[in-house]
Amino acid sequence: MLEPLFGADRRDLLDEFEAGQLAVEFDDATPQEMIAWTLERWGPRAAICTSFQAEGMAILDMAWRIDHRVRLFTVDTGRMPQETYDMMEQVRARYGIEVEVYFPDAQRVEGMVRRFGPNLFQRAVEARLLCCNVRKVEPIRGVLERLDAWITGLRRDQWASRANIRKLEIDHEHGGLAKVSPLADWTLEEVKQYNEEHDVPVHALYAQGYTSIGCAPCTRATRPGEDPRAGRWWWEKNAPKECGIHCPIETGAFEHELDAMLNPHRGGPRETVR
Amino acid sequence: MIREPQAEISWELVRKRNFVERLKAVKGGLDVIRDLPAMIEAGYEAVPEEDFVRLQWYGLYHDKPKLGYFMMRVKIPGGVLTPAQLRTIGELSEGFGRGHGELTTRQNVQLHWLELAHLPEVLAILARDGMTTTGACGDNVRNITGCPVAGIDPEELFDVRGLLDEAAAFFIGHREYSDLPRKHKITISTCPHQCNAAEIHCIALAGVRRDGRDGFGVRVGGGLSTWPRIGDDLGVWVPAGEALGVLQAILDAWRHDLKYRMSRAKARLKFMVHDLGPAGLRARVEERLGRRLEDGALPPPPDEEFDHAGVHPQKQEGLFYAGFPVYLGLMSGTTMQRLADQVAEFDGEIRLTRRQNFIVSGIPGERLAATVAAIEGLGFPLAGSGLRASAIACTGDPFCNYTVAETKGKLQDIVEHLETVFGPAADGLRINLDGCPHACAHHWIGDFGLQGTTLRERGPAGERLHGYDVFLRGGLARGAAIGRPVLRRVPGPEIHRVIERLFRAYLEGRQNKERIQDFFTRHSDEQLGEIGLGPGAALETVETGGDADA
Repeated sequence: MLEPLFGADRRDLLDEFEAGQLAVEFDDATPQEMIAWTLERWGPRAAICTSFQAEGMAILDMAWRIDHRVRLFTVDTGRMPQETYDMMEQVRARYGIEVEVYFPDAQRVEGMVRRFGPNLFQRAVEARLLCCNVRKVEPIRGVLERLDAWITGLRRDQWASRANIRKLEIDHEHGGLAKVSPLADWTLEEVKQYNEEHDVPVHALYAQGYTSIGCAPCTRATRPGEDPRAGRWWWEKNAPKECGIHCPIETGAFEHELDAMLNPHRGGPRETVR
Repeated sequence: MIREPQAEISWELVRKRNFVERLKAVKGGLDVIRDLPAMIEAGYEAVPEEDFVRLQWYGLYHDKPKLGYFMMRVKIPGGVLTPAQLRTIGELSEGFGRGHGELTTRQNVQLHWLELAHLPEVLAILARDGMTTTGACGDNVRNITGCPVAGIDPEELFDVRGLLDEAAAFFIGHREYSDLPRKHKITISTCPHQCNAAEIHCIALAGVRRDGRDGFGVRVGGGLSTWPRIGDDLGVWVPAGEALGVLQAILDAWRHDLKYRMSRAKARLKFMVHDLGPAGLRARVEERLGRRLEDGALPPPPDEEFDHAGVHPQKQEGLFYAGFPVYLGLMSGTTMQRLADQVAEFDGEIRLTRRQNFIVSGIPGERLAATVAAIEGLGFPLAGSGLRASAIACTGDPFCNYTVAETKGKLQDIVEHLETVFGPAADGLRINLDGCPHACAHHWIGDFGLQGTTLRERGPAGERLHGYDVFLRGGLARGAAIGRPVLRRVPGPEIHRVIERLFRAYLEGRQNKERIQDFFTRHSDEQLGEIGLGPGAALETVETGGDADA
C-alpha cells in the first residue's frame, strides 16, 4: 500500500448542489482562474494528474506560475517509454518540483505476470483491461483516495461523447473528490500555442507522430489523417469504443468497462421483469 | 475572477468554444440518418464518434460497454399508446433487443441491445405503426409529456390531446427546432392535480380557463441535472389556439441568443430564465411575437403529487380507466404483447405515467372486473403494491455508461425491505434513485432522493464499493423545492436501513398530517444525520465549504 499523503484523513468535499452551482459560475473562467481557485481552496489536498502529454504540461506550467508548491503526480506502470522518464527529469529541472511517481502494487503485478505472462495485453481485451487496471488504474485510485481534488487535462473536443464535461465536477467514480478540468473548452491548438509561448517542455514522442502517450508496448505513432485511436491498442477487435487520446480513467469510463466486461450482469434487478 | 460574458458573441466564437456546435455545423444531427447505410457498411468500429453523437437525434445511445449495442428511446407523446403500438414495441424488444423495455419518467419507452445493422428496420417498423424516435435525445424538443389521463379524466379542465399531438408533430424532425442550444422539455396539461411535474420542465403549459375560454398559464425555466431549478411563472395567459405559437416564440428567443450556445454547461432554457428573470424572458418572447401577451398566472399548486393509480370512471359514460404499478419500470416484451392483447379486446389505450407505471383506458364497465383481473395476472397487482408504484430508479446498470452505482437492483432491495418493515404504511413513498448526477429519476425532488457514488474505502479484494448520497426536503406540488444532500456516501449495504430510520422517525414524529418533505424541513441536517445513521454510527455527514469529517 502507498503511504498516506497526509497523516490525518481530513477532507474538504463539495456537496452536489454546491458543485453544480460552482461549475456554472466557473464555466467562463480561464484555465488559470480555475487552477488558482482550486489551489486556493485545497492547497496540497489538490494535485495534477499527468502522463506528460501536452494538456498536463500546460496545466503544470499555469499552476506553477500561480504557486510553486503545486503537486504533480504520475504513475510509472513499469512499461513507460524512455521519453516519459526524460520528461520527468525535464520537469524536475525546469520547475524545481518533485514529480510524485507512484508504482503499481508489486504483488499484484507479479501475480498477474506470473499467471498471464508479461505481454498479456496482446491476447485479449479482458487481459488488456486487467493489465491497465493493475498497472495504472489501481495506483491512480490509491492516490485519489488521499486527495480532495484532482486536476486533469480533459478537453471537451477530445472525444465527441465527452463534450458535456464540466470544469468542476464531483468525481463519483472515486469517492466523491472534486475533479477539475481547467482546459475543458480549449482546443488542442490552444494548448500547443500556450506551450510554445511559455517554452513548456514537450514530450519527445510527439515529434515522432504520436498523438497519445501511454505505455510503450500499447502506444504507437499515427499517420496524418489516421484516426488517433489507432495509436492505442491497434490490434484489438471488439474492444469498448473509447477515446484513444486520454486515459478513460479520467472520465470514469475505464472502470465502467472493466465492470461491464468482467461482470456483465452486475447491478441488474433479480427476476423482476414482468 | 469570473469573466464577464463577451458583449458580442459570433457563431465563429460559439463554434470555437463549443465542440457540439462545431459538430452540428459540420453535419446536423438529423442528417446522420442519410449516412446510416454507410455506417452499417463500415461497421461499428469504423464509425466516428461524432456520428454516434448525431445518432442521439434518433434516440440512440451506446449501451455499456461500448461494443456495438444501442439503447433506443421511443417517443410517446403524452404517453398514449394504442395496443398495436405496444405490441410492436414488445415484438421489437424480442426480435432485435433482448426481450425487455423500460418505462421512463418522461413517458418514453426504452429498448436495449439493438445492433447498428438493425436500426433501419427497427426505425421503419416504428414509423409504420405511427411511432418515432426522432428527437428523443440530442438538442431537440424531447417527448412532449402530459397528464396520462388527458381527454378521459372527468376532472380535467379541457382536453389538450389535440394541442399536444399537434405540437409533437410540429417539432418532430423540424429542422429549425432540431438544432437547439441543448435538449428541451415541454409538458402540457390541464390535470387538476398537476400530475405532470410542470415545475421541472423547460416549459409547462398549465390549463387555466378565463371567461369561458380555454387557455394556459406558462411556467418556464425548470430542470434538474447538476443545476436543479424550479421553473417560474411567466406571468401570462395564453389562449389554447395560440399556445403552439407561444411555444415557438419562447424557443426562438432562446435558440437565437448565442449566449446560450457558448457552453453546453449553461445552454438550457433555465439559465436564460435565471439570467433574465421571467419578466425579462416574457419581454423577449413578446418581441418575437410582435405583440403583448395577456397577463395571467399559473393555477395554484395542489397539496400533493398524484399518479392516477387505481380504478376511476372516465368522463365518457360507461368507461373506466385503471392505473397499474410497474415494479422498477421494467416490462418484458412478452408481457407488452399480452397486455396489448387484453386492451385490444375493447379498443382501449395504454397510457404511460411519469412514475414509470401505466394506465389502461377505455375499459367498458361490464368488462372492468375481468380486465383488471387479467392485467393483474400479468404481474401488475393493484392491491398491496403502493410502494412499487411510487419508487423509481433510472436505467443504470447494466446498461448506462454514466451510472456509478446500481439503480433498479438496489431499488428492489430497498422496496422489499421497507415493505417488510412498514407494510402498507410505506405505500406512495417517493423514492427516486439515480445512478449519476444526470438525475433521470429526479433524485432532487423525491421524498428520498438517492444518487449513486463510490466510497473511499475499498472492498477486501480491492474492488470499488458503491454508496449513495441521500437527498431530503425536495418535492413538487405545494412548496415545490429542490432537495439537498443531507447524508453522503452511505454504503450500499446500509442504505435501506438509513431510509428505514428516517421514515420511521417521520411516521412517529409527524405533526398533524405534515408531509415528509415538511418533516425533513423542520429538522436540521445534524438531526437528520443522527436519525438516519442510527446509534453509534460514524459515517460522514455533509459539510459545505468547510472542513469535513464528523
